[in-house]
This record gives sequence, structure tokens and C-alpha cells, in this order.
Amino acid sequence: MPAVFLGVRHHSPACARLVAETVRRLRPGYVLVEGPADLNGRLDELALGHELPIAVFSHYRDAERTATTWAPLCDYSPEWVALREGRSVGAEVLFVDLPSWHPAFELRANRYADAEARYAEATARLCERFGTGSVDALWDGLFEVAPADGLAERLDAYFDLVRGESEADEGDRAREAYMADWVRAVLAEAEAEAGTGAGVGTDAGAGTDAATVLVVTGGFHTPALRALAARPAPTPGRPALPVPPPGAVSGSYLVPYSFRQLDAFAGYQSGMPSPAYYQRLWEDGPEAAADHLRQSVVTRLRARRHPVSTADLVAAAALTGGLAALRGHPVPARTDVLDGLAGALVKDDLTQPLPWSERAPLAPGSHPVVVEMVAACGGARTGRLHPDTPAPPLVHDAAARLAAIGAAGSRPLTCDLTTEEGLTASRTLHRLRLLGVPGRHRTAGPAHGADPVTTERWEAGPEAGRDAALIEAGAYGATLDEAAATVLAERARTTGPTDTELAALLFDTVLCGATDLTDRLLGTLAATLARHPDPGALGAVLATALGLWRHDRVYGAARSPLLAAVLDGAVARVLWLVEGAHGRSGADPARLAALAAVRDTLRHAPDLLTVTTADTAALALRIARDPHAPADLRGAAHGLRLTLTAGGDPDPGPEPGLASAARRAAGDPGTLGDWLGGLFALAREEVTADTGDGSLLAAVDAVLAELTDAEFLIALPALRQAFAWFPPRERERIARRLIERRGLRGSARGLLRTTADPVHLAAARALEENVTALLDRHGLRTAR
Amino acid sequence: MTTTAEEQLQRPPAEVRYAEELAALRAEDRDHRPPGWELSLRAARRFIVGDEAAGVARKFVGDPALVERALVTLATNRGLLLVGEPGTAKSLLSELIAAAVSGTSRLTVQGGAATTEDQIKYSWNYALLVSEGPSPRSLVPAPMLRGMAEGRLVRFEEITRCPLEVQDSLLSLLSERVVAIPELEGPEGMVFAKQGFNVIATANTRDRGVNEMSAALKRRFNFETVFPIPDLGTELALVEAESGHLLRRSGVTAAPDRDLLEVLVTTFRELRAGEGGDRPSAVLSTAEAVSVAHAVGLRGWYLRGEAGNAADLVASLAGTAAKDSPEDLARLRRYLEQRVARRRGPHWRAVHDARHLLAG
Repeated sequence: MPAVFLGVRHHSPACARLVAETVRRLRPGYVLVEGPADLNGRLDELALGHELPIAVFSHYRDAERTATTWAPLCDYSPEWVALREGRSVGAEVLFVDLPSWHPAFELRANRYADAEARYAEATARLCERFGTGSVDALWDGLFEVAPADGLAERLDAYFDLVRGESEADEGDRAREAYMADWVRAVLAEAEAEAGTGAGVGTDAGAGTDAATVLVVTGGFHTPALRALAARPAPTPGRPALPVPPPGAVSGSYLVPYSFRQLDAFAGYQSGMPSPAYYQRLWEDGPEAAADHLRQSVVTRLRARRHPVSTADLVAAAALTGGLAALRGHPVPARTDVLDGLAGALVKDDLTQPLPWSERAPLAPGSHPVVVEMVAACGGARTGRLHPDTPAPPLVHDAAARLAAIGAAGSRPLTCDLTTEEGLTASRTLHRLRLLGVPGRHRTAGPAHGADPVTTERWEAGPEAGRDAALIEAGAYGATLDEAAATVLAERARTTGPTDTELAALLFDTVLCGATDLTDRLLGTLAATLARHPDPGALGAVLATALGLWRHDRVYGAARSPLLAAVLDGAVARVLWLVEGAHGRSGADPARLAALAAVRDTLRHAPDLLTVTTADTAALALRIARDPHAPADLRGAAHGLRLTLTAGGDPDPGPEPGLASAARRAAGDPGTLGDWLGGLFALAREEVTADTGDGSLLAAVDAVLAELTDAEFLIALPALRQAFAWFPPRERERIARRLIERRGLRGSARGLLRTTADPVHLAAARALEENVTALLDRHGLRTAR
Repeated sequence: MTTTAEEQLQRPPAEVRYAEELAALRAEDRDHRPPGWELSLRAARRFIVGDEAAGVARKFVGDPALVERALVTLATNRGLLLVGEPGTAKSLLSELIAAAVSGTSRLTVQGGAATTEDQIKYSWNYALLVSEGPSPRSLVPAPMLRGMAEGRLVRFEEITRCPLEVQDSLLSLLSERVVAIPELEGPEGMVFAKQGFNVIATANTRDRGVNEMSAALKRRFNFETVFPIPDLGTELALVEAESGHLLRRSGVTAAPDRDLLEVLVTTFRELRAGEGGDRPSAVLSTAEAVSVAHAVGLRGWYLRGEAGNAADLVASLAGTAAKDSPEDLARLRRYLEQRVARRRGPHWRAVHDARHLLAG
């Protein structure tokens, strides 16, 4: 008897039901399941009695690549049901897919992602054929809410259409070939057994039909498997388990998983969304699931004090019913309910298409109704492993490392970061801190990247819940460094656009020694930089990163590719933001410091940057000439251009002379100081080196001399701020040259010294502080 | 060969342009029709999103679920409000829906600052009014009244451009589904809406804030946001097809360069997406991209006899992507200088090299 192939969609309740029903009906001798074959000796671990969702977590590392893969299982996973039901009828259940470390899974974080999502053409063909916008909506209508009769035939037709003529990629072909080898081998065994009569149940109620082989795999692979399995076997016997290359480390473990993680896969990695809805559908059927979804959205919205009137609910129900009828669903499906609620409850224009219409994660700033709807679909369930489950490797790794650094006891630990051991200890402890594992906490140590402190002190704290936290964190990686890198990448993805968060994230990355770790971290960090809105904050990050990249010997972060990527991303973003800044505002020192950091990066690390010095000089010229740019930025751009072109002007075009630029800026005495401040922040040396009649000093002197008293008073505060960029010695030099220029004699230092009575100054200062305090108390001070 | 009057029109309404398709769909329609509708929901949906097997062309490139929601809303007792950026084919969608559902898209109120209540409900033929007094004969029904009396869909374009008090004249009409004409006596003084009547309004997100909508009116509408075409491939194909069509009509035989069109469409999409409120004030719709592609083709063909190159593209961009706004021009320049420089590929390179051609 040939094998019975059952093509399923991973995480589909309808498919899970079909698998359970088929196993009970056929009572097969063998159930072959798409799952990592290296787990076959340990299937008992899966049957211990866990609370789902859980995942088989696999890790791999060799000299070239590291990879982590999850195979999430929930109550309604067809693979899980095949395993459970197969064992309960006494069948031999086998995982027949390649191990997760195999190159076929390269770049795949989710083993049970929808294979067809990797083939855009296949999904486009499906949607076009059925006239729907998304595969998920189509699937729900065809299978999840449709009557169960004829389900197997419909699935076959569906997956034949999905696979079509499309050629699978190399990874999928390797997997299909391996799975087909298993099918052929097991079929041969089953036939042999059937021939001898062994294992065939004598009564239909007990025992199994040993000759029957049930194959449960992703439906995308089924058509190919059928064809491959029909060919003669190249070699007899069960296929050998591929062996990882020598020197590579790999393993697979069970870890607790959550609906949130299951729902968070995006793009190619995503499977079926909305686990909470499908859990309900699996337990109570589609009608109850739809009702529950509606209720849970409304409850959530009302808890958030978002008005939901009865009239709205009536309208939503009418819409849902109408949509279900129009789409030919006997019972409202997930998208019918969601579309109905969105249509009736959203009373504004949206900034992003509804997330269930296009498999996209929720963008920041989404409509609150949409946010609650997505949250209600996703659910918050987390799985728990049975206590007898072997602990994930992270638990052992953490214990071994803690013992190695002598942190097992409760003595306080001091790490000298300049020594190898101290640094290792510090990294280990920081990684644990990042993973949220209770235990030691730091009481002293460097607070930021430029902090000259080189020792850290770690006190012991309560350790309750440490193992639980480590088991939970086991889903992030097999070793502390891997897990920390995964968490950092996740944080980079979700970090908000505030300065401290981004800088802190970067510093944590350095502290954990994760600067040369993963591409994932690199990619997310670059994306975060690329949408950061505040040049000042970016400047702080840029300055710190540049310092670490150039000089850091303590953490070993010098010349690290991660910092290099940060530098490039931050420079591009700062330049983008400053060219877009318009309007009148006072001098913003953070923004000027950011431009100074850009200048330093161009000077010290030009090879890392995509943007060239010539491009930047041209950009600076544009800003310097832009009448709508803020005065401080115009001055800073001028300074930036001066410093960049100091070694020979790449573009000897019409150069606005400093003096004439200053005169133009002085057209408005209110902005002269800001303009000078920007200029001095970027090109202090160039300005002081510039002497003679056409110099800036001469021009400013002339301009100031022409100001009326009233204008001078307006200009004064910003002017003082501008000259504060010079250290006292340089200020003295300027004063001396001023005296020379005016043809006077006298002490330059005397000119800088105030002539007012110090008592008056103190009194004025006290008064000013008083006023400030008073304004603050009444909330009247404007933020600058 | 004879040409009918309709063929000489620049742009005949949807029910005329697609008369054959509509007739065929009506003839084959076996599904239930909502009372007062000319087509069933499914047939109307097929008319709009297309059905290749049945030879029905796709007329609206967008999420089919949106069309479904829109149609179902119109079958309930709430109005439909299509909101979105300019140039997202809102009006086209409302025209198609009205043509499919009611067989006519001509019951249209064009909203604007000067729209008054009598352009929505009814006004009088004053000569008759003076000579005969108020009578059904002297009454001049406006689109809403006609839609109610005939049981058809009424389109209200750019509703938020109307003053609030004019918008609010729709309130009783949408909830009570009746218009009182106090001047007329007897049963003619009340016009009740027949089955099939409903309102499709469109509003432009750029105009919101000019005249916001009252909460009471919002409550009577279901909102549907129409988005620009979500994926690059579809938008590119549409721009290529439409601009090719325009170029052929302009006597240009060279087909537009696909790589260059990709640069154009990508530029439009990225500028349109903006970030943190920094979006151009000019409308960067697909329709605008088509007109730029048209201009590029014309320049290339009539100036040099070829399909148009990166320099033509940059030169044509200023007029559409920046219009008369210096801020938009600066945005465009910043994009060409900084973003384009980070792109790979010969066409991006060429556009970057031609950036100095940006006028202004």
C-alpha cells in the first residue's frame, strides 16, 4: 500500500483536526512528520506533558556562520497532533526533515514558516486566482471556517495550485529529497512487515495497520514528495542523519514559547498569525472564536476608555455578516470580524493599511482601535515546560561561566576591565543582566562609553527564579553571548526614538562584547538609526561610537564592524536631518556637537563612510547658503566646509568669504551670535588662524561697531554664548589681535577681565536664579 | 465608420465606458441582490476588482478587501466615506461602485467652499415658482433628492471642502432617510428614500482640518482609508502601462525605459512616505508619476529621438514633485543629493550625476 500523504499548513487548526481524524481512521503503523530528524531519539521529551506553546530551539555555530532556528509547536499544530495521536494509536512516529543546522535552513528563523511565502510568485498567483488581498484571508475562507467534508481534497487542490510549476530553491529541494528518502525507506519496511504479518492488528479496535504509512508535511512540499517517493530508492535502508562538519557546535532543545513570539515573525518567516484566535477556533470552533474575538476587542477598547457604542456594535455585526456572505463563508472568519469592527469603529483616516490585509507588523502610531484588535488576536499565552525536561543549553552555559569567573558564591565581585579575566567576568555578568536573570547587580562601573572608570563592582543579590529566567531566556540562544545578541537585536528593533535608549543600547552592546556578533543586530541597529528623528541624540551616539572605534582597548571594541556600521548610519542620518532643518530657533548645542562629530568622523574614519568629503562639503555649502536654515546651522555648515576644504578646495567655485557671510548674518543682530556659535563650534582653529583685513575677526569687529546700542543688546547674549566655545587662552589671543587691529596698546587679558564690581555681579546672578526658580515654579519658562 | 456622441467625449462616465461588461455581469448574475441594487454584491465586486476568467478587466488596483468592505457598508444603513491622500483613486472607486450598484455614477455633488444646501437637496425654478407657486413641477431636485426618490447611490465628492453647516444637512437625510419639502403640501412634502439609496462621500486627507466633520456626521459614515498602491511592482506596471499609452497618443514610438521608470516610481514612493511629518506638500500620486514619465518620454523623443534619460527625469521632476513650493524643491534636492547617492545601479548613478539639472 502506498504512503498516504497529508499536506498541511503549519499551525492550522483545520489541518490539525484532519490529521487527528486521519490517524484515528487509518491507524497507521508509521507516522512521518516534518520535523528535525536529529530529534527522533528524544521524542519522549516532547510527550512529557508540557503546556503549549513550546518550541524546538536549534543552534549551530562553525567558523563561518552561526544560526538559530525555532520550530514552534502549539496545541493546534498539525505536527504536534500527528505526534500525539500517532503515539496514542501505537504508531512509530518519526521526524523526517533535515536537522535545523543544515545549510538548507540558512537564514530561516522559523522552521514552520509558510513555505509559499518565500515564493512571491506563488502567493501572487493564489491571490489573483481567488481575488483576495492576502493568503491568510483566503486560507481562512477555504479551510478554517468551511465545513470539514472534502477538506483533504480541497487541501490537495490548493497546494497543487500553490506549488504550480514553480521550482523550489536549493534548500527546499534538499529537504524534499531527504524527506522522500525517509518515505521510501519506511514504506519498504512497512511492506516487509506486512508480508510477514508482523504487527498487523488482529482486531480493528486495537493495534495498527503496519502497512499504512502516513506522511504529514507542509503542503508546499507534498506534490514534490509524492513524485520523488514514487521513484526507486537509490540506497536501501533508512537515510543516515547528516553529520555536522567537524569543529561545528550544534544542538536542539525544548524551550518555552509564547503567542507573542509566535505572532512576531514577519515577512518570509511568518506562519499563521493571530494565535489567540486560532487557539479558540481549535478549542471551540469558528463561531465561538469569532464571538470571543469580538468580545475581547470591545472589552479591551472599553478598558482603555475608547467609546464603543451599541450602535457601532450593531453596525460591526452587520458588516461582518455581510462580508462573510459576500466572501462565501458559512461562518464569519477572522478577517470578516476584524474588517467589520474596523469599518464600524474607526472614525479617522488610517496611516497604514490594516495590518491583517498585508502581513505587516504594526507600525508605530497605528490607530488605537487597530492596535487593540491586533493585540486581541495575538493573545498573551506563554508555554511552560514539564519540570523533567532537560534544561536548555543556556542554563548549563550560564552555570559554567559563572563558576569560571568565580561568581558562584555571594561575595562581591570586582572586575578590573583592563585585564582579560576582569573583562570576561564583566561581560558574563552584563549578559546575564541583559537577559533579566536575577542574581548579581552592578553597584559601580563606567556609566557611558567615554567614562574613564575601568573597574566594576558586582554585589550578589537574591537568586530566586534564576533558573526559570534562564530557561525562558534559553529561547534566545544556546550560549550567553548568543542570547544576549538576540535580545539586543530585539531591543534595537523596538527602541523608541529617545536619545538615552539608543545610546544605552549601544553601550550595552559594547559592555556585553557583542560588537562583532550578529548580522541581525547590525541590521536592526542600522534601521533604528535610519529613522531616528533627533540629530542631537544621534550626535551623542556618533561621538561615543567614534571614540570607541578609534581608541577602545578596554572593551576590545576598536575597529569593530558594528561600530563602523553605526558610524556610517549615524553620519548619513545627521546630514539628512540637518539639511531638512528649517525655521528660526536659537543655537542648539547638541545639534552643533552632532555636526562636529560628523566632521571628526570624516576626518578620522573616511573609509567607513558611504558619503564622501566632497559630497559633505557641497552639502555644507547648500546649508550655509540656505536662507531658511537656522542661523546656528548655517554658521556650522560654513565652519564644516572650511574644515573640510582646508587641505585644498575641491570645488573652487564661488566661495562665500567668511567676512561677507558674517556681514550677511549680521543683517539680523539677533542671529549673529547664533551664526558665530555654529561657526566656532565647527571651525574654531580655522577661524583663529585666519588673520588680516579680510578676516572674520575684522568683519565681526566692523559689524559690531556699526550696531546701534539697542541692536547690540539684542545680539549680546548669543554673542557671549558663541565666544564661550573658545578656551580662555584663545580668547586672549583674539583680544590681543583686536587691540592690534584697532592700533591700541594695553593688556589683552585686561580686556577680558570684567570691570564691574564682583558684588554687583553676584547680586545679579542671585536675582537671575531667583527669577528662573520663580518661572520654573509656575511652569512659565520656555524650553530651549 | 460613424462615431456616436459618447465616443467623442473626452471621458465618458463609467457606466458608458464599461456598458458591455455591466450588461454581461447583470445577465449572468444569479446571486441575491440587495433591494434596489442593479447587481449582486459579488457581481459588483467582480466588476471592480476584475475577473480574468470572465473577461472582466481589473479597474481598481488596490486591496480587494477594501472594495468588499465598501460594498457591504453601502448595503447597510450607513454611508461610506472614502478618505485618503489625493490621487489614490478614491473618486474612481466611488464612480465604479455607483455605476455597478445603481447603473449611474452621475448623481454627484461636487463639494467645495461654495457648495450650498440647495445644490445638495433641491432648489426651485423661480419662473415657475412665481407663476404657479410651489409645486412638484417648479421643484428642481438636486442629486440627493433624486437619489432618494429613485433609490440610487449618490456620490458626494470632497465632502470636507464644504462648510460644516452644509455637511450637516446630510444628518437627517442619512438617519431618517427622508427630506421634508415644507413648501409643498400633502404627500409630496416628504420625500422618503427608496431602497438602494445611500451616499458615497470622498474626502481628502490634505483638506481635513480646513473643514473638519462633526462627530454626529462621522457616526453616520463608515470610514475607509484608500492607500497608495502598496507594492512597487504593481505601481511600476501601472505607470509603465499608462505612460506608454499616453506616449503613443502623443506620437512617441519609443517605449519608456523600465529601469528609469523604476527610479522614478521609487523616488515618488520614498518621498511620499516621508518621515516624522516631513512629507512634501505636493501630491506625489501614481497619476503624477505617470505624467512625469510622459514628460520624460516627450523630452527624449522630440529633443533627441530616444526614450528619455536620467537628465530628462531630473528636469521633469521639479515641475511635479516640487510645484511652486521652495520647501518641496529643497526636499527633492536633499533626496537627490543624499539618498540617491547611497543607491547602487547605473540608473541611480545617472540620476545622481544629473542632479544639478534640478531647476530652481
